[in-house]
Amino acid sequence: MKKEDCFYLGKIVKKYSFKGEVLAKLDTDEPELYENLDAIFVSLRGNLVPFFIESSQLHKSELLRIKFEDVETEADADSILKSELYLPLEFLPKLEGNKFYFHEIIGFKVIDEHFGEVGTIKGVNDSTAQALFEIDRDGVEILIPMNDEFIDKVDKPNKTIFVKTPEGLIDLYLEDE
Amino acid sequence: MARSLKKGPYVHYKLERKVAANVEANKKTVIKTWSRASMITPDFVGQTIAVHNGRQFVPVYVTENMVGHKLGEFSPTRSFRGHAGAKNKGKK
Repeated sequence: MKKEDCFYLGKIVKKYSFKGEVLAKLDTDEPELYENLDAIFVSLRGNLVPFFIESSQLHKSELLRIKFEDVETEADADSILKSELYLPLEFLPKLEGNKFYFHEIIGFKVIDEHFGEVGTIKGVNDSTAQALFEIDRDGVEILIPMNDEFIDKVDKPNKTIFVKTPEGLIDLYLEDE
Repeated sequence: MARSLKKGPYVHYKLERKVAANVEANKKTVIKTWSRASMITPDFVGQTIAVHNGRQFVPVYVTENMVGHKLGEFSPTRSFRGHAGAKNKGKK
């Protein structure tokens, strides 16, 4: 299994108990969806290795307490500590309407109500409190806040996102050229 | 030490003027600013402010829960792309 066919679910952050249990921090809004998994991919030395789950339960808000098969001691748990967890893309629940996953929209065309075609999405910047579309327009990077106020329609079959940006937002990046 | 309540929140006068003009005209034009230290007041809600981070303008659509924060908090000046050695760590 390749990383491109999987999505990042979270990371093993801590050991728990002396029986080899670990705590994983999940990068999701709905951790309860992943409470009863049978197996999970653990990234070890750049490779995805499947680990079977003996038992798992939610721990506090967003941590998942996992007991893997064949991870019986603290030393075993140490060897997978800080490793990233992945799941195949098929495990993602389908989103409908104007909702989307960040990885889904890479390469989508962005069309503004007033400006017309803006460019192609090359990434999503979620390091700020407000996620931003990073759009490439002939080498110029244009940022548009990912906000319901601005997103008009997401046309997944045609790989296009229609936006309604306020006056002057796109020109802001083009005037520096 | 906290800012004196007597003074009120700090907002750069030019930015304040531009926001007031937008609100009065009921417009949503993007406002460019370099004033990262300005505080977001309730007047800003619904406006889009392009806050400079030293390299480029980062657009911030102001929502109610941003009130009381500084504009600079929403326009990071550094981007963390992982530690240099982390990629090759497992190959040794």
